[in-house]
Amino acid sequence: MLRDFRNKILNSPISVLLPVTGLIILGLSTLFSITATQGQTPPNALSKQIIFMIPAIILMSIILLTPRRIIHKYIYLIYGCIIIAVTLPFFGEKIAGTYRWINFGLQFGLQPSEIAKWVIVIALARYLSDYNLKIKNIDAIVVPFLIVLFPTMIVLNQPDLGTAFVMIIPVFTMLFWAGSRPIHLFLIIAPFLSVFTAFDILVFSIWAVIMAVVIFLARLKLWHALGLYFSNIFLGLIFPLMWGSLRSYQQIRLLSLFNPELDPLGAGYQIIQSKIALGSGGFMGKGWGQGTQTHLKFLPVQESDFIVSVIGEELGFLTLLIMLVLFSWLIIKIIRLALDTTDRFSSLVLVGISTIFLTHVFVNCAMTVGMIPVKGLPLPFISYGGSFLLSCFMMVGFVLNFGRGRLN
Amino acid sequence: MIGVVVLVHSVLAFRFFQLQVLDFDIYNQRAENNRIRAMSMPAPRGLILDRHGEIIVDNYPTYILYGIGAEIINKKHNYNVISQSTGIDTTVLKKNYQNYYRNRFVPTRLAKDLTINQLSRLEEEKNELSGIIYKQFPERIYNQKIHASHVLGYLKEIDRQSIEKLGEDNQYEYGDLIGWSGIEKNYESSLRGKKGVTYYQVDAFGREAGKIFGQESILPYPGKNTTTTLDVSLQQLLETELRGRRGVGIVSRPETGGILAYVSAPNYNPDLFTGLISNSDWQSVIADTNRPLLDRVANGLYPPGSIFKMVVAIALLEKKLINPQDEIFCPGSYHFYDRTFGCWKPNGHGNTNLEQAIVQSCDVYFYQVIQKIKLNELAEAANQFGFGLETYIDLPSEMKGIMPTQEFMNRLYGRWGWSQGALLNMAIGQGEILVTPLQMARYINMLATKGKTRTLHIVQNKNHNIPEPNISNRSWNLIQKYMSKVVTAPQGTGRLSNPKIPGLKIWGKTGTAENPHGEHHAWYIAYGEKDGEMISVVILLENSGHGGEVATPLARNVFKHYFNSNRIKLAKN
Repeated sequence: MLRDFRNKILNSPISVLLPVTGLIILGLSTLFSITATQGQTPPNALSKQIIFMIPAIILMSIILLTPRRIIHKYIYLIYGCIIIAVTLPFFGEKIAGTYRWINFGLQFGLQPSEIAKWVIVIALARYLSDYNLKIKNIDAIVVPFLIVLFPTMIVLNQPDLGTAFVMIIPVFTMLFWAGSRPIHLFLIIAPFLSVFTAFDILVFSIWAVIMAVVIFLARLKLWHALGLYFSNIFLGLIFPLMWGSLRSYQQIRLLSLFNPELDPLGAGYQIIQSKIALGSGGFMGKGWGQGTQTHLKFLPVQESDFIVSVIGEELGFLTLLIMLVLFSWLIIKIIRLALDTTDRFSSLVLVGISTIFLTHVFVNCAMTVGMIPVKGLPLPFISYGGSFLLSCFMMVGFVLNFGRGRLN
Repeated sequence: MIGVVVLVHSVLAFRFFQLQVLDFDIYNQRAENNRIRAMSMPAPRGLILDRHGEIIVDNYPTYILYGIGAEIINKKHNYNVISQSTGIDTTVLKKNYQNYYRNRFVPTRLAKDLTINQLSRLEEEKNELSGIIYKQFPERIYNQKIHASHVLGYLKEIDRQSIEKLGEDNQYEYGDLIGWSGIEKNYESSLRGKKGVTYYQVDAFGREAGKIFGQESILPYPGKNTTTTLDVSLQQLLETELRGRRGVGIVSRPETGGILAYVSAPNYNPDLFTGLISNSDWQSVIADTNRPLLDRVANGLYPPGSIFKMVVAIALLEKKLINPQDEIFCPGSYHFYDRTFGCWKPNGHGNTNLEQAIVQSCDVYFYQVIQKIKLNELAEAANQFGFGLETYIDLPSEMKGIMPTQEFMNRLYGRWGWSQGALLNMAIGQGEILVTPLQMARYINMLATKGKTRTLHIVQNKNHNIPEPNISNRSWNLIQKYMSKVVTAPQGTGRLSNPKIPGLKIWGKTGTAENPHGEHHAWYIAYGEKDGEMISVVILLENSGHGGEVATPLARNVFKHYFNSNRIKLAKN
C-alpha cells in the first residue's frame, strides 16, 4: 500500500509543483508586506492563509492518491452535493450584500462555489468521455451546457458574476477538446457577443460583418445560415431594451469599464487606484513594504482581488513578468499533460482545470489594469482567500493524479 | 491551445509594461498627489487692546470635533458616546454633521468650542469611538469687565455665498470665522492674520499617517494686534450707569476724535457669538423688545431736541439776524396762527435774551427768532455741524439721520403741504430732524474745539477730515459762554453735571426730545477741560424724562471718574 503510494507520487508530474511553489512564495511575501507594514496583528490575512495551507496540502495529497476510477464513479454524486452546497448560503446570512459563504460558526466562512468550479469540470469530463457522443452534432452540446448552466445560474444569483464566468468558460475549451465543431461553439457564443457589441453601433457593425463571414465559411444550409444570422442581429437590436432588467451594480460595473471616471468611488475608483499603484511601481518597484498606495489604503481589496497591484507597486514590472512566466509555465504544463494522456476523461479534466487557471489569471490581471470590468476574481495561489486556496490545491491534486500517464 | 495561453499572457505582460514602464511618470505623479494633503492651520486673530494696553479681546484655545464619514462605524453609537462625555445633545451633532458634510473622506465638524475637560473625558472613551478626530482652534474671549458689544462686533462663520462674493483670491474656507460687525469687521484684514499649512501624508480615508519628509509646514502668521482709543475703565463706568436702561453714552476726545467709551444700552454679552452661550440665551436676546442687538450709537435715530438750539443760535448770529441782548417775553407758550407751541416750562421764563434762552432752554424764544431765517439757511448751518451727514467713523455701519431742507419737505409733504410751523418745531430740534448720538458726539466736539475737531474713530482716522465751518470767533465764544453758564448758572439746566472738581470747567447743553412713542428722550451733551485736557460726553436716555434731571448725573460721573483718576493718560489718539 505504502509502496503503491510512493509509486503514485513518484510517477506524478511533480514538476508542476515548482511554479506553484514560486507563486505561493510570492503570494505569502506580499501578504506579509501588507500585514507587517500596516501593523495588523494575527489573526490576519497572512496567518489565516498559512493556516489554510495545511488542509489545502492534505486535501491535495488525498486527491493525488485517490484512484481515478473512484473519482470517475462518484463525480455525479459530488456534483449533486455541490448543487445543494451552492444553494445553502441563500438560507444563511447575507454577507457584504451577497449569499456566497456558508458559516459554520467558525472564524471564517466557506465558499462552496469555489469548489464547484472543478466539480463542474470533472462532471463534464465524465459526461463527454462516458458516451461515445456524436459530438459533431449540435444536439450533443446541449447536455454539457445544462450541466454547467445549472450551478452557474445559482451562483449568478448569489450574486457572483466573476465565479459564474469562470464556471462557464471551461465548457467551451472542453467541448472543443472533445471534438465539437468550432462553428457550433461560435454559434453559442455569438448571441452573447451580439448583446455586448450592441453598446456601440460601430462595434456592432464590425461584429455583424465578422459573423456573416464566419457563417458563410461554415457552409451551413442557406435558410439555417440566414436564420442564425438575423436572429443574432435581432437580439443585438432588442438588447438595449433588456438592459434595464440588469441589477444596477452589474450595470455600473459594465459601464465603468468604458469610463472609469464615471463613478470615482465605486468600481471606477478601484480601477483608477489600482492603475496608480501599478504604474507608480515602475520597472523595479518601490521596494518590499514601501508601497504608499497599498499601505495608505488607497488600493482597495488589496489582499485578494487587487493583490497584483500590490506586487506591481512594491516589486515592479520585473516581478510581474516573472509571475506571468510562472503562470504560463503551470498552465502550459497542464495542457502538455492533457496532450500526453491517453484516456479521454483525464485529458478533459486537465484541459478544464487549465482553463480555470487561465481564466482566473486573465480576468484578475486584466481587471487590475483596467482592461475589463471589476469582477472580483482572486489570483490563484497568490490572493488571500481560504476556500479558493483549498480549491486551487485540490485542482493541483487532480493535475498530479490525472497527469500520471498510463499508470493506474 | 498553448498558443492561446501564450497570447493571453503576452497581452497581460504588454499591458503591465505599458502601465509600469511607459506611463511610469504619469502614475508616479498621481501617486504622490494621492498621499500628500495640505491642511490649513488657523492663525490666531489679532488682539484688541484699549488705549492703555489692556486686553479687551483675547484668544483662547478651544477644540473642534470632527467626524469622518468613511471611518465612523456606527454613527448613533458614536453620537451617544460623545453626548454622554461632553454633554452636547445628539441632535446638535447630527445637525452639524449634515450642515458641514462635504464628502465621506473629509472631516466634518460635529461640535465646536470643546473645553480641554470635555476633550479629556472624551479621550477616555476613545475605544468606543471611530472616525472621530479633533483640532485646536483659537476662539475669541472677552474682557469680563466690559461688554462693548456694539463697538467690538463679532465673528461669524463664513457661508458659501460670502466666500464666493469675496472672489477667488480670498483665503477663507467654509466654516472659517470672519469679522461680521464692529471693529472685527472693519479691521478684518489686519486682525485675521495669515493661515498656515501643514502637509500630511494621508491614507485613502484622509487619516493622518505621519508628516512628509522634506515638505516643511508653513506656520500661521498671527493677526495684527489692534490698539483702540477705548478706555476700559470709562467704558465699564458708562456700561454700569446705563445698565437696565435704554440709551447711549459716548465719551470722546474733541481734539483728536478718539472715542473713549462707546455704550449702547441694552447691550449683550459678546460671548454670545462664540458658542459659549446656550441657544436659549441667544433666543432671549433675539426676542428682547429692547433690541439689544441694535447699535443705538451709530444706528439709533432720535430727534435732537434742545441740544439743536446752538445750531439755530449760531445760524442767526452769523447772519446777524439777532442781537444776543434782545429780550423776548416767554409766557410759557406761543401762538402761531391757529396753533399753540408750548415751552417746556409751562409757567414761562419771563423776559429772556439769547443767553437765558440757552441756559434755561427756553423754547418760546426760539419759536420767535427762527422765523427770521429760511429753512435752507438753517439746514446749511446744521450741515456744517454734520447733521444729516456721515461721521465717517471706522465702523462698518452708521445712519446719516435727517436734516430737512426745503426740497426735502416738498418731497415729503408736497409743494404746499407744509408751512412755517414746521420750522418752529425744528427750532427746538423736533419735527423732521433726526440724528444719531454719534453725530451729536461730533457736534459737541466741534463746539468744544471751535470746529477744529477730527473725525471720530475707535482705532484710527479713516482719512477723512471734517471741513472747518465758516463761523466767526464771536459766535463761537458766545455759544461757549452760554454753554458754560448752562452748567454754572443757578438756573442752568446742566448744573447737575458738575462734579465740582477744582480746575475743571464744564460746558454743556441739555435736551428733552419729544417723541410720539411715550416719555421724552433725555439728552445731555457736554465737554469738560482741566489742565489742557479735554473730553466730551454725549448721553441719551430713551423715554426717561428731562435731560437736565436724568442725563446730567451720568455725565457728572464720567467727568468725576476721568478727571479724578490719577492714571497716566496718553496724550495722543
